[in-house]
Amino acid sequence: MKLLTDRHPLLIVVGSGGVGKTTLAASLGVVSAQQGRDTLVMTFDPSLRLKDALGVGAEAKERAVRVETSTRGRLDASLLDARGTFDKLVERYAPDDEARDRILGNRFYRHLAGNLAGILEYMAVEKLFEVAQKGEYRQVILDTPPTRQALDFLEAPQRIVSFLDSGALKIALKSWFDDEGRLKATSKLGFLGRRFERFLDDIVGLDLLRDMAEFFQAFGPLFDGFRERAQKVQKLLHSKQTLFVLVSGPGEERIPDTLFFARRLQEGGFPLGPVVVNRFHPMEAVPAGDPDAAAGGDPCTVDGRRLLSWLAERDREGLEQLAGLLAGRPLAALPLLPREPTSLPALEAMGRELLDRLG
Amino acid sequence: MSTDLLERLASRKLLVVTGKGGVGKTSVTAVLGRLLATSRRRVLVFEVDPRENLHQMLGIPPSGGEVTEAGRGLFLQNLKPRQVLDSIVRERLKLEALARRVLESPVYRHFSEGAPGLKEVGILGHALRLLRGIGRRGKPMDLVILDAPATGHGVSLLTAPRLLSEVIEKGPFGDMGRELSEFVSDPGQVAVVVVTGAEEMPVDEALELRQSLRERFGREPELLVVNGLYPPYPAEGESPQEDEGMRLWRRRRRLNEKELARLVASWDGPRVELPKLPMDRGPELVNALVTCFRAQLQERTA
Repeated sequence: MKLLTDRHPLLIVVGSGGVGKTTLAASLGVVSAQQGRDTLVMTFDPSLRLKDALGVGAEAKERAVRVETSTRGRLDASLLDARGTFDKLVERYAPDDEARDRILGNRFYRHLAGNLAGILEYMAVEKLFEVAQKGEYRQVILDTPPTRQALDFLEAPQRIVSFLDSGALKIALKSWFDDEGRLKATSKLGFLGRRFERFLDDIVGLDLLRDMAEFFQAFGPLFDGFRERAQKVQKLLHSKQTLFVLVSGPGEERIPDTLFFARRLQEGGFPLGPVVVNRFHPMEAVPAGDPDAAAGGDPCTVDGRRLLSWLAERDREGLEQLAGLLAGRPLAALPLLPREPTSLPALEAMGRELLDRLG
Repeated sequence: MSTDLLERLASRKLLVVTGKGGVGKTSVTAVLGRLLATSRRRVLVFEVDPRENLHQMLGIPPSGGEVTEAGRGLFLQNLKPRQVLDSIVRERLKLEALARRVLESPVYRHFSEGAPGLKEVGILGHALRLLRGIGRRGKPMDLVILDAPATGHGVSLLTAPRLLSEVIEKGPFGDMGRELSEFVSDPGQVAVVVVTGAEEMPVDEALELRQSLRERFGREPELLVVNGLYPPYPAEGESPQEDEGMRLWRRRRRLNEKELARLVASWDGPRVELPKLPMDRGPELVNALVTCFRAQLQERTA
């Protein structure tokens, strides 16, 4: 299958942590630019050497940075900064400076280290939408957050919309407290209300509730713009322009993870493209000689020949099983390389290899 | 120093096993559990993940959220942070109907998703309950080993109680935040074990983790475990002619050595190196790693 064509101007690379998503996203970016297409790679947390290879530093959080290459198309890279994006969104949609400052200065907002209704994950998608709308690039490649539940971010737009539509928000948007600082809703309820108020105060403390209520009220004027945008983002993720590339580690133990991801994507109606098994131990790279000759004795000093031959066999079996379970879905495997690809030529070679193997 | 290492680890109440995703935190958690559990020391390995993995390493069926025995002195539990928070609300609200209404209300749901540090506090709070014995008949654990979630740094798990107690001043959550904040800042009770692979990204992350532990807690990890090392390459003259496979071995080993050197250059604390072994995930692998772990301790004492 063809991966880099104008049919899918958005590629989204997903998979569990530590499987090499970022490197793969970068390598596809280099090849895409080499093919003469203006390309943007958006990434979360690249390694130092990959950052060096792409030549991006902290300024890539602010804007896309040009990568120094001789590719025919332009290659830009940017780093995703969820907090910064959120702040900017607040600035954009706040009706006036006072409303903006009220939100940015709110204690609840500042401590929003947890993830209210997936809002921070949503910011990644939001950023993607912004780029897609500008239409500056022919190819955008998004690397996704390195979490076990990396797919949460896909559901983020849906969750934001349902949160905005839910009763929770309507309650939150009411002014909760009267002039004396008592909960309004409960002061009408007499004894029962006081009991509920005491319970709330006991459980979370009224101060926190006050902060939260203030946050939602301050956020109120932003919601319409926000909601509309979340719906558009959701549409974009499901559209034909988008294609998901699912990256997996090698070996049988990774298969459940990969199937889990594939199923979630399909059930969610997201356009799933190829599955890429990364860094498998190739049969061609099993050293010659009888591996079993070196077996036995101390379990902690294994002969490398025996280890590599075992790993190659394990990865071959895993790949075979996965191919069977994925039933005809495009699948490509990339071998573990003697060196990690961290230079532009090495990235390009990796990207080309992937396209070749996909046929 | 090394014979004492196990004793020092065993003298703690909570070990937080942390590191980047995919480096083998779960294996190391299981190895530490096997090493530290005895007939006189009850050790519980605690996993917070929607999908269970630890049971497989210990060779028992999934725990399904219950405390399950996995051998002499060793117990296992897998929980979701939500379950912990919900049980606190239930304890507070004696009326089941009222508790249900609160738990099902969207306000509570969004609040417990969004309140800063609440989930982390739930995890630590549960560990503390295990150490005290849950319910009237629950026998207390002597040590809890937490396979910390891969998301975020292990440090955010440890700073969460302080954050929570600042945001929520009163009530059970606030009290819990304060109590746990004291608990985690006591190096005599809580120790951090950092797991890493000898490759660039995991090493970067391990070094960052150590830096923020220093800055925010003024302390060091108790142990560094470097996992999944390719075996040493034969010395020159001893190696057969180099084919593609030998080259992969040599380069991968060299990468391990280089990254290990970078790590060691700025890390002089206790360290254990574990090999990549030709074995599937499971109790056999855990037992082999336990042997390698012990062998290294003896080597250093000798």
